[in-house]
Amino acid sequence: MIIPTEEIMQTNHLACPGCGAALAMRYALKALGRKTIVVIPACCWTVINGPWGKNYAGVPVFHTAFETTAAVAAGIRTSLAAQGKDDITVMGWAGDGGTFDIGLQALSGAAERNDDIIYVCYDNEAYMNTGIQRSSATPVGAETTTTPAPLLKDRPKKDLMEIVAAHSVPYIASATIAYPTDFIKKFEKAKSKRGFKLIHIFSPCPPGHKFAENKTIDVSKLAVETGIFPLYEIEDGIYKINKKPKFRPVEEYLSLQGRFKNMSKEQIRSIEEAIQIKWQRLNAKAEYLK
Amino acid sequence: MKKLVLGGNDAVAYAVKQSKVDVVSAYPITPQTSIIEKVASFIASGEINTKFIRVESEHSAMAAAMGASASGSRVFTATSAQGLLLMHEVLHWAAGANLPIVMANANRAVAPPWSIWAEQTDSLSQRDTGWIQLYASNSQEVYDLVFIAFRLAESSLTPVMICMDGFLLTHTKEPVEVFDNEIDEFISYKPEREILDVDNPKAFGALAFPKDYMPIRLKQHERILGSIDKFKSIAEEFGSISNRYYKPVYQYGDENAKLAIVVSGSIAETAHLSVDALNKEGIPSKLVKMTMFRPFPKEDLKEAFEGVDKIVVFDRNISMGKGGIFKDEIVGALGLDNVIGVVCGLGGYDVNDVDIKEAAKAVFEGKIKQDTILWGER
Repeated sequence: MIIPTEEIMQTNHLACPGCGAALAMRYALKALGRKTIVVIPACCWTVINGPWGKNYAGVPVFHTAFETTAAVAAGIRTSLAAQGKDDITVMGWAGDGGTFDIGLQALSGAAERNDDIIYVCYDNEAYMNTGIQRSSATPVGAETTTTPAPLLKDRPKKDLMEIVAAHSVPYIASATIAYPTDFIKKFEKAKSKRGFKLIHIFSPCPPGHKFAENKTIDVSKLAVETGIFPLYEIEDGIYKINKKPKFRPVEEYLSLQGRFKNMSKEQIRSIEEAIQIKWQRLNAKAEYLK
Repeated sequence: MKKLVLGGNDAVAYAVKQSKVDVVSAYPITPQTSIIEKVASFIASGEINTKFIRVESEHSAMAAAMGASASGSRVFTATSAQGLLLMHEVLHWAAGANLPIVMANANRAVAPPWSIWAEQTDSLSQRDTGWIQLYASNSQEVYDLVFIAFRLAESSLTPVMICMDGFLLTHTKEPVEVFDNEIDEFISYKPEREILDVDNPKAFGALAFPKDYMPIRLKQHERILGSIDKFKSIAEEFGSISNRYYKPVYQYGDENAKLAIVVSGSIAETAHLSVDALNKEGIPSKLVKMTMFRPFPKEDLKEAFEGVDKIVVFDRNISMGKGGIFKDEIVGALGLDNVIGVVCGLGGYDVNDVDIKEAAKAVFEGKIKQDTILWGER
């Protein structure tokens, strides 16, 4: 495939160097085009998009309350439908806090109604806009300012994809910026489908995950290759794994990031086990639901 | 025009239908529910073209209303009590984003203990959200205020809340004069406003540094203050169609009254009788009914209180640790020292005309010298 050359997002945005979420929006808008309206709740993108009077996304943006992304997007979609405007894509663009936690109810409501929106969670696995505090997307063993060593996160990350899948919506996909063609294809597919679409993006955060600014793509790629972040789609209930991981040693992924430096050997082993269990289940679903 | 027997909720739904609302986003809550049921039935029967978002909470009801309004639709929602409280944060957002949403609130007491009956503490708790607040006293007012509210919201880029006492107003049926199509031109007028537009991609509600935030907020404040005059001219235009005229502050009774009874909401209907009785007893009295609470109609009240010796404010609401909210606002705005506040009717407790009359008389005669509670023992 050819990645669209048009740049909709502007270059002078306010993301930290190496921010995965900035690149994610750039790719997403390449796929969706200018006829897109974006809803952004409290999250890093509140800042990235620029202060009052600026709009670095390059498409209309409605900044909203932390927990309201899906509901506001549903309102916009319905309003456009009432006016007979059916060629505009409405995208909610929230972090993991606004999705896995405070925004989950509105997300569930919109998914259950099958509102015709694309809901994107760019997941940097903690509350990064307020510093680095634990969210329910924070993985086991991660150090955050509210789970300082030795009180590392001790509960598994919530499974957003499966939660949304339980709502029987037309399209759910995971993506990372390390695989841009896969990423863009998924947004194009989401745009082409009517109803509720979720795209879960793994979005590495250099200051939050504590790695060098030039390692964002490496971290994204390793998340997939170690099997920690599976790339897959659930299209009308059918599971499709987009990339079979090589199951590289999980230490390769963990050791790149300062947030995991205080993990014990046992925790690392339990992560390896969790990866295997997750993949067995995913393979079984992909095998059974195809 | 024709007369129909309608409860307040029916009147709202009827007016929403005639206001050609594009989007309704709502969640059911007692005693608001029959508004949205009626709207749903109008949609089901094909009488209106409105899109209805059946949200999962009042929080999302206001959020979806906000999205719909920001993208250019005329939007209505309705709620009550706990639902309104759940919306609180989003009320600030809707007002701060200059969105002309109209909402009906069935005034209901706040839990605990659970209560589904009339009290204004729910909406008055939303005093500082930046919404225009109008209080209706009967179903006709409810019906008429919906039309005025849409015009007011759209011309002042400020959301409007129409408040009506739960059950007392929402469910009590009375004759209401409704339009056939006389209102069409009035309600079809919509001023241009800035909306989400893919051909003009702007960001709404972005982070504002202090140098930007303060002027933005002050402009919003000035716009809301300016909506008093807008209300007057829109109400005048409405009156020329309906022959029913509305003012921010309504007066009834003796023009040279020495005693003013101040109320809002459904108690105003009852208090007409109290004022008549007081005048008959030789105490020159008048009713001062506040239809508008935000923006606060200070000048209109000042005019209403000219020549009045004693003012007694009946509040079906309470600010814990302070007292009646209307009383407090009036004293604060006008700097008066001749006002007595009477808290009454909380959680639907009955308030009758004789009790109002007796309490007001006792204030006038100096027997009640400080704020009090009306228990309605009779």
